[in-house]
Amino acid sequence: MSSHYEAPIREPLVLGDKSYHDITVDIAKPIEGKANKNWYIAFTISLIAFSWGIGCILYTIGTGIGVWGLNKNIGWAWDITNFVWWVGIGHAGTLISAVLLLFRQRWRMAINRSAEAMTIFAVFQAGLFPIIHMGRPWNAYWVLPIPNQFGSLWVNFNSPLLWDVFAISTYLSVSLVFWWTGLLPDFAMLRDRAIKPFQKKIYALLSFGWSGRAKDWQRFEEVSLVLAGLATPLVLSVHTIVSMDFATSINPGWHSTIFPPYFVAGAIFSGFAMVQTLLGVMRKVTNLENYITRLHVEYMNMVIMLTGGIVAVAYASEFFIAWYTGSPYENFTYMSVGAATGAYGWAFWSLILFNIAIPQLLWIKKIRVSFIGSFLISIAINIGMWFERFDIIAIVLSKGHLPSTWTRFEPTFVDVGVFIGTIGFFGVLFLLYARTFPVIAQAEVKSILKVSGENYKKLRDGSHE
Amino acid sequence: MTYNRCIGTRYCANNCPYRVRRFNWFKYNENSEFDFNMNDDYGKMVLNPDVAVRSRGVMEKCSFCIQGTQQVILNAKKEGRKVAAGEFNNATACSSACATGALVFGDVNEEKDPIVALKEDKRAYRLLEAIGTDNNVVYQVKVRNTEEA
Amino acid sequence: MSNKVIHALYNDDDILMDAVKKVKAAHHHIDEVFTPFPVHGLDKALGLAPTKLAITAFLYGLTGLSFAIWMTNYMMIEDWPQDIGGKPNFSWVENMPAFVPIMFELTVFFAAHLMVITFYMRSRIWPFKEAENPDVRTTDDHFLMEISVHDNEKELTALLQETGAVEINVIDKH
Repeated sequence: MSSHYEAPIREPLVLGDKSYHDITVDIAKPIEGKANKNWYIAFTISLIAFSWGIGCILYTIGTGIGVWGLNKNIGWAWDITNFVWWVGIGHAGTLISAVLLLFRQRWRMAINRSAEAMTIFAVFQAGLFPIIHMGRPWNAYWVLPIPNQFGSLWVNFNSPLLWDVFAISTYLSVSLVFWWTGLLPDFAMLRDRAIKPFQKKIYALLSFGWSGRAKDWQRFEEVSLVLAGLATPLVLSVHTIVSMDFATSINPGWHSTIFPPYFVAGAIFSGFAMVQTLLGVMRKVTNLENYITRLHVEYMNMVIMLTGGIVAVAYASEFFIAWYTGSPYENFTYMSVGAATGAYGWAFWSLILFNIAIPQLLWIKKIRVSFIGSFLISIAINIGMWFERFDIIAIVLSKGHLPSTWTRFEPTFVDVGVFIGTIGFFGVLFLLYARTFPVIAQAEVKSILKVSGENYKKLRDGSHE
Repeated sequence: MTYNRCIGTRYCANNCPYRVRRFNWFKYNENSEFDFNMNDDYGKMVLNPDVAVRSRGVMEKCSFCIQGTQQVILNAKKEGRKVAAGEFNNATACSSACATGALVFGDVNEEKDPIVALKEDKRAYRLLEAIGTDNNVVYQVKVRNTEEA
Repeated sequence: MSNKVIHALYNDDDILMDAVKKVKAAHHHIDEVFTPFPVHGLDKALGLAPTKLAITAFLYGLTGLSFAIWMTNYMMIEDWPQDIGGKPNFSWVENMPAFVPIMFELTVFFAAHLMVITFYMRSRIWPFKEAENPDVRTTDDHFLMEISVHDNEKELTALLQETGAVEINVIDKH
């Protein structure tokens, strides 16, 4: 069929001799089967980390922010670092499912479900920090523009922190419905396969009674396209607005006009790294090697190289401007000679090493298509991007305008515990997801099987010759 | 600073070029962990009854003794007159306690107030004036004898 | 009146598409087609009208934008104007740049959520809704075509048989 044509030079996206039914079976298998030992080990570790985090959060809320290592000069450190880090990670999912949908990139179909799940779980973690970092978190609802008993005192729409509230909540909720709408046909597939009555009930509930009528699919595709169109500027806006927390402030090093594009590139960079980390593990654990292939890994690495390049240029420009202004204050920002040689030099050089130097290895094709290589590099980028945010926040705050206010930040066990706890929480959510949700958008993969399945391509290309 | 509206994001403190803001990291009142002999009824008598006790998790900074300046304004109002020039000098705790006049407080909008002349003096300068915060604290440079005595 | 319907099952999307075209050419009305994944061009072959959800999304977006403008104006300018950082809230237009993020976010928020809710309502999908696909295989790898029978069972069966259906069932629909 000519409508299923794809250039022979393109590598197939679905490997092996797969039929539509095989896809169903492959994707339902991790859900219908029993979890293996590794899953239980990973889940237990995550759960312990999560519990530890809950303990630290409760301790913070019960006692006060003073249990963190903050002081009067460094009012933010790990809390907002972790917030920005998690929000950044949460950028890949919607980018993959929205931007790549608009660009008609078929390779997104095998990874968009998990990337979006990662997005949502990461934004959960991110959303936690602005709340627990408040001095009075029980008053967190004051950031909402709701009629109140304080003489109708409203929120301040001029504040970038309030923009954050709107940006993050819009992003989370829109990502959630985008994800869920895509899940409906896949839940329906699980519902119709389920043998146990309880499972059937649950998936019937989750699938919202999806039946797959021709009209439903027509609407489904339209909704996906429009949501993608809406989510694309949304992805770009979220980190833009997060960066405005810094860019609209008056601290040298924060007050920088290149922050919005630079943060967005960094977010995509870190998000793809996290997708790479998670999928590297997941494809092995769930036996989905035929769907998440070397080609997917290579394409993601190319996005990482591009956004990593943008980030590197942004660092260079920040470094140059810090020196070129000749302003003594600029010389102690996170990207400056002062930072490189100062007390936080180790953090500066960690950033350069993990975020700029190591990702350059991806120029080598052998590493770019290697699963282990990509996995290790993605871990390095995750670390590097954490350092980027830590440097921006802690180094800038540690060297303010007045030398009398120069100080250092020392994290306490509570700072570390809360961070570890969110990683645990993320792990718990993702592991539960991998066991109960269809981890690949099977309906979409089925629709490209004839186009880009290995067996179909062979058949078609063979007949051409 | 409006303590009862504060949720404690510390954004203002991060942005303060002078880092003068102080945060209430813990609950300091009625807390045995912070016993400065002010947790019992007698100890509390040293506390200024006109100043709000700040709760945990709110930001605070010097308010130029807003309760003191309000007192001056209300006294004048009661007596049906304007606030006299220089009357504010005793309104803030620091300036009223300062024995040498190193600290002076006043109303810059009142031309006859001594603070105006001090502010216009050629020795006057402001901290970090270049960043344009137009701050209300004015310093005066030290007088040095540059010639040999 | 009997509510007999024919369910013809196919196991390939290309065969289904040809079948739909053939059945339409024979002037039979296809009540419904259930498919496990979106088959491109099926809506056109069935003669379904294009969906207007994109237009509703646009209108919902405009609603969101208007709401954001009204809200920022009411809360910041009219009800409780404040002078924050030496930038007094006297007029909405002059303060507008600070409200752009709010306006954008609410536009997207309204457009996305209301469009999805409209989609769910129109396609009758929501929590606790019973699924209506007549055969469980239609979410796996089978395609089901449903045609009402009006005393032409034999003729229809023969036609469907010819189009390559793998299974044909005549069912009394309640």
